[in-house]
Amino acid sequence: MSSIIEVTHLEKVFGDKRALQDLNFQVEQGETFGFLGPSGSGKTTTIKILTGQLRKTSGEAKVLGLPAEQLNKPEYRKRFGVVTDNSGLYQRLSIFDNLKLYAQLYDVPLNRIEEVLEMVNLRNEQKTQVVKLSKGMTQRVILARALLHKPELLFLDEPTSALDPVNSKHIHTGLKELNKLGTTIFLTTHDMSEADYLCNRVAFLHKGKVQLLDTPSQLKKQFREELIQVELRDGSQLELPLAPASAAELQGYLAADQVETIYTKEPTLGDIFVEVTGRELI
Amino acid sequence: MSFSIKRLMAIFQKDLKDLYRNLYVLSTVLLPLVFAFIYGRMDEVPAEIQFFLVSLTLSMVGTFLQCAIIAEEKEKNTLRGLMLSPATLPEILAGKSLVTVVITIVTLLLCIRMAGFNPDHIILVIVGIVLSLIFFLALGTWLGLVTRSVLEASVYVLPIMMIFGMSNMFIGLKEDYAFLQVLEYTPGLQLVEIASLTDVSQSWKPLLIIFAWAAGAVILSVITFRKRSFD
Repeated sequence: MSSIIEVTHLEKVFGDKRALQDLNFQVEQGETFGFLGPSGSGKTTTIKILTGQLRKTSGEAKVLGLPAEQLNKPEYRKRFGVVTDNSGLYQRLSIFDNLKLYAQLYDVPLNRIEEVLEMVNLRNEQKTQVVKLSKGMTQRVILARALLHKPELLFLDEPTSALDPVNSKHIHTGLKELNKLGTTIFLTTHDMSEADYLCNRVAFLHKGKVQLLDTPSQLKKQFREELIQVELRDGSQLELPLAPASAAELQGYLAADQVETIYTKEPTLGDIFVEVTGRELI
Repeated sequence: MSFSIKRLMAIFQKDLKDLYRNLYVLSTVLLPLVFAFIYGRMDEVPAEIQFFLVSLTLSMVGTFLQCAIIAEEKEKNTLRGLMLSPATLPEILAGKSLVTVVITIVTLLLCIRMAGFNPDHIILVIVGIVLSLIFFLALGTWLGLVTRSVLEASVYVLPIMMIFGMSNMFIGLKEDYAFLQVLEYTPGLQLVEIASLTDVSQSWKPLLIIFAWAAGAVILSVITFRKRSFD
């Protein structure tokens, strides 16, 4: 697998505030990469630098094999898509007219509009004026717009933050399918279950630095307490060490048909974030 | 990347459809038409009034409309979407200007129909009007880029309209207020200058002045647009 994003010693300074410091990570082609961090940790700054909207102070950022600053050139913009929390739509126009503009700008056939609207569960709303949409529906139209040209690389900044669980699930399914078709996804989110479900790897960003980077399952293994949690049929709960020494005791409960539930005590990504950075992911 | 007429027309069609539903901005074209209607009822409309109507239309429609269109794109965060699309800077600027050009020309023709317009050296005057339109459009683009909302833009555009749109009216006060002599260099009064020339070979000077205004405003708006491409 080759890297589609390579960030090396990236720094960004705003006045006397260091927004990013010695940032290093790589995103492999075809993966969904989660970039997790609380507000103000530098997620949006990173996306802006990677999409050529903001100049870095120092270091290197390569995207699609090009220095990130070059992505500002129109000829490269067909290769990626961006959804950020401040992406806007034309309020007086219908969903279809909004997408039609971008289909024409990206030179995409108009029947692609129905495909992307299907993906975000808005196929029957295409004639609705954007001003009449809820925040969640607006977010889905913005996502549909970013998918129109089937980008190689998709930057998603909190794509489901305004959505209800049903529509979030719909978007998750769509993103999984898109990823299967080969689109690399760079995702920032606060939703740890979303990151867990969608991401091949996640990076924890705190104070402008990557604090931890691995697959969700590896991180959970690394940070799990070596305990087995057992709930017995009488309602009592036990915690046993995850070790051969617990085997006999555990076997006893099982043999006596006393076990209601049994599982290893694994932390969530949110728990791991708090443990590593000392703060909540909000 | 080559200039794409298809992308330009996509932006133009979108703006036209959007503007059609934007009564607040679209209603600005009424003012020059109301003036033209009132003056048109006179037995003979003086040349100064005809030129005033031209300047007023160019600034009121050309500058304000363009300014409002761009400012709204910024206010609603849609301009960044265009900047991140494959549309180039010339395609975005030309696409966004085309709808203003069409509406300005239609308004001008309606004003002329109501109040008349028959200056000397009509071809040269038309060349001057075309250059002036470029100036007013570029000025509107720049104002739209430096303001944050349509409301803010409509405040900022007022002094511009006073200076460039009504210079033909204020110049009469130059005897009392010497500083108003500077208005003689505005595009509106340079158009009057072209029409009043006795020697056509001298027309290069007012045309050059209007061209300088247009070139300066275009450069300013392009530089500002490029700066706005980055946060």
